[in-house]
Amino acid sequence: MMGSTSREVVRAVVAWLLVALFAFPIYYWITVAFKPERDIFALPPKLFDFNWNLSSFEEVFGISFGFDKGLEVLPGGGNFYMLPNLWASIVIAVLSTLLTVIVATLASYALSRMRIRGQHHFVFFVLSTRMMPPVAIAIPMFFIYKNFGLLDTYTGIILAHALMNLPLAVLLLKSFFDDIPTEIDEAALIDGASRVLIFRKIVMPMALGGVAATAVLCFVFSWTEFLFVLTLTQTSFKTVPVAASTFVTSTGTAWGNMAALGTAAMIPAFIFILLVQRNLVRGLTLGSLKQ
Amino acid sequence: MNPVDRKLWLASLTDRFARGQMDRRSFLRSAAKLGLGAGALGAYSHLSARSGLGLISPARAQEQNIEWPEDMTNWLKEAAKPFAGQTIRLATESTPPSNAINSALKGYFTETTGINVEIETLPLEQVLQKLTLDVASGLGTYDLYYLDQSWMAAFSGDVVDPREKYESNADLAMPNYNIDDFLPALVDGISMYDGVMVGVPYDIPIFIQMYRRDLYEELGLKPATTMAEYLSNAQTIMKAKAPEIYGTTGQMKSGHYSLECDWTCWLWAHGGSIFGPDGKFTGNDEAGIEAMNYWIELKKNMPDAVTSWTWDGQGQSVAQGIAGQLISWGEFFPSWDSPNGSNVAGLMEATVPPKANSLRAVDETGYGEIPGVGHQGGSSLAVSRYSKSPDAAWLFAQWATAPETQVWITVLGGGTGPTRSSVYDDPRVKANAKVGIPGTTRHLDAVRETIANHMGSEPDLPEWTEISNDIIPVELGRFWAGEYDDPKTVMDTIKQSVDNLLAS
Repeated sequence: MMGSTSREVVRAVVAWLLVALFAFPIYYWITVAFKPERDIFALPPKLFDFNWNLSSFEEVFGISFGFDKGLEVLPGGGNFYMLPNLWASIVIAVLSTLLTVIVATLASYALSRMRIRGQHHFVFFVLSTRMMPPVAIAIPMFFIYKNFGLLDTYTGIILAHALMNLPLAVLLLKSFFDDIPTEIDEAALIDGASRVLIFRKIVMPMALGGVAATAVLCFVFSWTEFLFVLTLTQTSFKTVPVAASTFVTSTGTAWGNMAALGTAAMIPAFIFILLVQRNLVRGLTLGSLKQ
Repeated sequence: MNPVDRKLWLASLTDRFARGQMDRRSFLRSAAKLGLGAGALGAYSHLSARSGLGLISPARAQEQNIEWPEDMTNWLKEAAKPFAGQTIRLATESTPPSNAINSALKGYFTETTGINVEIETLPLEQVLQKLTLDVASGLGTYDLYYLDQSWMAAFSGDVVDPREKYESNADLAMPNYNIDDFLPALVDGISMYDGVMVGVPYDIPIFIQMYRRDLYEELGLKPATTMAEYLSNAQTIMKAKAPEIYGTTGQMKSGHYSLECDWTCWLWAHGGSIFGPDGKFTGNDEAGIEAMNYWIELKKNMPDAVTSWTWDGQGQSVAQGIAGQLISWGEFFPSWDSPNGSNVAGLMEATVPPKANSLRAVDETGYGEIPGVGHQGGSSLAVSRYSKSPDAAWLFAQWATAPETQVWITVLGGGTGPTRSSVYDDPRVKANAKVGIPGTTRHLDAVRETIANHMGSEPDLPEWTEISNDIIPVELGRFWAGEYDDPKTVMDTIKQSVDNLLAS
């Protein structure tokens, strides 16, 4: 009995240590956002014992939280105002995810249920487009976008992110649809249901977990994508990863502001994952057991 | 309106105000509708100092009561009439002048001329990528180029010579612009390539000698006048204060341009040069190896982490108070005087770099290289040959580098060294030479003298971007990581790579 209890305690301690190991960098990053500038690089590092303040957030979001009123009013703000960039990130990630999921769902259902000549090669071709390094197509895309008037536009970036995510989304969703027995479709067909009806009313609800998992991946990829946004935008807008690079100046890096933006940028992704969490767990385990 | 909406609306107003899309009067009028009145300026004005990074808020500009000369305003209004409504774009590194213009000054230009200015601030490597793409495509997506001195040769064919521009159209030539006011050494060092003036000198970060006055006084040290004294000072500090305070510090990250900057300083200081008159790499000659051996000795007095630091880490190490002295970018200096971000506020002093052991003459080097301990990293502002609005861009370039604008950039606390002689003498600039304020200009005498007498300039050749950003810092990084047995081997390797590149 004692042995069993000890084992459980050890297991719990190890589990917590592992959690701490992974959570610590996030904690440290968040504390940087709340630290005064001079404490960020203090040696030894100040993990808890520092004057928490919101000045980095105030600069990044251009909103007064009422702190630091006694400070001398001198340089700050201006270039580091990032609220519009956060909004641009949300719009682009949500819309590109939506577009990807809609197109990928239809494509993958067709690939899963219909037999076409050379299907295997087609699927491999879809996957191979994902193997191409983005840097290889960024510059050609720049020229294409310039000619089509898509440079520096939301539409352009949403399309680029959707194109980037489609191959993976199609393959992921195809595997989820493959896991749903075709007998269900056949039974519905016998009952007179059309393919569209079967897709909408029967298969989609069963594959929602997979769709959620795919959507999360697409959202996260879009949320963190750097190269296309850097290459295909100019002054109209920037997403968070590219905007964050502006904290790197010729006279140093604004680590506090960067951490404030990074901390704030975690929130929308966190909310999105929370919203789809129930389906996500189902999606991640879908097909893990043999029927 | 509920409090949340009010805050959001205020944030939106503040954004437009910060971006220069709204004048102060409109901002206050709109804010008044929220019941905030003049207090709305507090949404900006309370923001804490970030002077270390050369960032400037509109509120800072308001505090300074910037008044532009009437003749400048009248001329800009008149000259810009045909271009009102045009938009010009500039991709630039986030430097003190760019930040000052973007945050606090360009509103005046737009309001006066009707020309919209969009400034994209990015890290230096990304600016290079953007400009390369723009030039390769010839699409003119940017009207103005921010050109680092190491890119001059590569972009010299893609810009309009400002002298031609100034002389070709009297209507667009700003009165009293006075090109001769730019420090001659800078025009030669950062703006000229093969007889072409690639752009107008825009900013001038340059290596000066900086040290902790309190440590020097405690240990009885004097600012070094020779390279041997500089090493000796570092060793003395190290012996007395390590590991709390190191003798010196560095920017020696493998593969980063900053490592190349440090190397050239020591190379030039020991009578070496990067190239010989025959255009071959000479960093592996006797003087080059002597410089490497000096650097090895000096590094023993630096924190181990220097090999992972660029200029950012180097500046931070001083701000944290763990470095006693350094020869590096003078534009760091104002940030260390800021009590909010530094542990050494008021403790740092600036002076010219130590004298070189020997200095190779310019005609013994190649590609216009100018040896000097004060490595300069200046930049120019150039009008793109592919611009759709070259005249509007030229007006902006003149205004951005005009004496009055440079005075305000300097006074607002950016930290950069002005490129015009008259700005150093301006009473407003001199009045800011105080201890303990973030925008101090008390290092500028050292900057000016270094430009005049100690400045070193990198060679100008189209391949220099690759050599300085890739070949040299990568191999030096491998050396400091212990992959080479001795300095001669690494220098020989660099020579082989560089000479092969140039031969091909």
